[in-house]
Amino acid sequence: MPDLVIRNLHANITDTDTEILKGIDLEMSKGEIHAIMGPNGSGKSTLSHVLMGHPGYEVTEGEVMFEGVNLLDMAADERSRAGLFLSFQYPFAVPGVTVANFIRMAVNAHRKGGPDGADNPVRIPEFRKQLMEAMEMLEIDKSMASRSLNDGFSGGEKKRFEILQMAMLKPRLAILDETDSGLDIDALRIVSGGINALMGPDMGTLIITHYQRILDYVQPDRIHVLVDGRIVRSGGAELAKELETTGYAEMANKEAVS
Amino acid sequence: MSTWLEERRATAAEQNEALGVPSLSDEHWRFTSLRGVDFAAFTPAVVATAGEATGAILAEGDHAGRIVMRDGGVVVDEFSAEVSAQGVVFGSLARLADDHAALIEPLLGTIVGYDEKFAAENGALWTDGVLLHVPAGVKVQLPFHVAYEIATPAAAQQWRMLISLGEGAEATLVEEHLPGQPGYANGVAELQLAATAHLTYVVVQDRHDETVHFAAHRAEIAKDATLEWSACSIGAKTGKTRMETRLTGEGSTGRLSAVYVVDGKRHLDLDTTQEHDAPNAVSDLAFKGVLLDSARSVWRGVIRVAEGAQGTDAYQENRNLMLSPTARADSIPGLEIDTNDVRCTHGATAGPVDPILKFYLMSRGIPQAEAERMIVEGFLEEALERIPDLRIREALTTAIMRRVPLV
Repeated sequence: MPDLVIRNLHANITDTDTEILKGIDLEMSKGEIHAIMGPNGSGKSTLSHVLMGHPGYEVTEGEVMFEGVNLLDMAADERSRAGLFLSFQYPFAVPGVTVANFIRMAVNAHRKGGPDGADNPVRIPEFRKQLMEAMEMLEIDKSMASRSLNDGFSGGEKKRFEILQMAMLKPRLAILDETDSGLDIDALRIVSGGINALMGPDMGTLIITHYQRILDYVQPDRIHVLVDGRIVRSGGAELAKELETTGYAEMANKEAVS
Repeated sequence: MSTWLEERRATAAEQNEALGVPSLSDEHWRFTSLRGVDFAAFTPAVVATAGEATGAILAEGDHAGRIVMRDGGVVVDEFSAEVSAQGVVFGSLARLADDHAALIEPLLGTIVGYDEKFAAENGALWTDGVLLHVPAGVKVQLPFHVAYEIATPAAAQQWRMLISLGEGAEATLVEEHLPGQPGYANGVAELQLAATAHLTYVVVQDRHDETVHFAAHRAEIAKDATLEWSACSIGAKTGKTRMETRLTGEGSTGRLSAVYVVDGKRHLDLDTTQEHDAPNAVSDLAFKGVLLDSARSVWRGVIRVAEGAQGTDAYQENRNLMLSPTARADSIPGLEIDTNDVRCTHGATAGPVDPILKFYLMSRGIPQAEAERMIVEGFLEEALERIPDLRIREALTTAIMRRVPLV
């Protein structure tokens, strides 16, 4: 059975009847990179938020199984500790909390409750070393570790710090929501390089994107086209090229009549 | 007792008689009712009560001088001989009143007058307190530490403090209002900074949960002098504190930072002024509060720019984080500007923890309670990081965060 199984997922904006996801089915396994592409308003970001447990959406139907457990029964922090990671399209500033402290708390939250149930916090020198290595990989200046997380960071910096957190938390399923938006070509190269370096047989990556640009750097195994809350087509990497020429609208229409 | 002092007390006593206890119709007491306070239930503390004061947050480490006032008098009156040799005067105000009349007479009751009820009451009834005078050019590196404590239940403590810094003088004074016993505390602090002087002033109000705490602190800041004032309020049942700065000299600076955590049924009222009487002065006020349970905070702040104070740069903000739907925070900013060419800005907000920010932290595996605590600490940190002394900052952060339960 695939590691991630999404079945007939429906979701509304909380406390409204506005349905955004209208029955999503998707399967993927660790070691694979999948991309979800779609026009604005198709529900791409909603899907990423719903998978992570965003309070602004409620699931009305369906299930999401990851490694055999139902994610929908879990709060966001439990999903994270179960191996999920979301790189936010618009990361939040956390004033007064430094990058290093924040990531260390997150790492410790992940280490807590291991088999022996002990706190087991990471040793600080070991943590510093790992953090510095990850920052180097993402070409982030080391002095940034003592800045408040995302506070006054540029759009591109925020995206790098999302990937930095991913590198430190080592998820088994990473969802990258428009991670390429707002990145110039150099930043895109660095961020993509980071994603590729972190990929491996124990991690699956779901890339959510509007443009195929990032897919030139991170090669997907599968591409799914999301239109109006439904996956209208799935295929191999070549689908991105086809989309470039046909556009989302035409593809959606074609699917509708076929 | 000197004649001038007796005369001043008599003037204050007359005012105290003339002024009634303020009601909600008084502009400065619009949000703080005193109807539930039975002033007759308190016994004026006239002498010191022997014993050790407890609960100070910032007393660790070396000091240039240390004073503890318990009830009506001072029980600890220590002063470094080395600092004294530089001409600095520090000690119990009652003890020094006769010998240092030349310092005290021009100050006492001249910065905080007797036109307000509780300042007048204090002017008539103060029993002891602190005098600090740093002569021109003397820079005292170590902090002075002052603690006030009510040691006897239902005691009324009237403390008074005078600080004067000569030209170019520098000092740090930490003033702590300790939990002690329930009672009534009323005090006045008058601060005078001569040209280019620099004072770091830290005030911690951690009075007993049932104590009524009134205080009027007012500073006059001369040319190119700087007052770095940080206040932390976590105590008292009803607290009303005036924090006033008057920028009398060109190019002077007054920075006011405050953090408060108000829980239970506490009521905290902070009343501030930034009075620009000279050109090109800078004032910057940042107050941040966390409200829990059915607690209540009030901040009323006015920026007053006098005619001729061109080039004024004044800022005030009050931000409140509401951790309970039954808590309430009122922010009343005010501008009174009588000149052109000034920059005055203000901002006030009150709101709960942002659920989306909480989601962001939780998405990293951080449990909900820890995420909320992190948001609270980060919120307060923005005001706390304005405190230049790292040791003071850390001790205050620890003390404050102890008041924020893991929800």
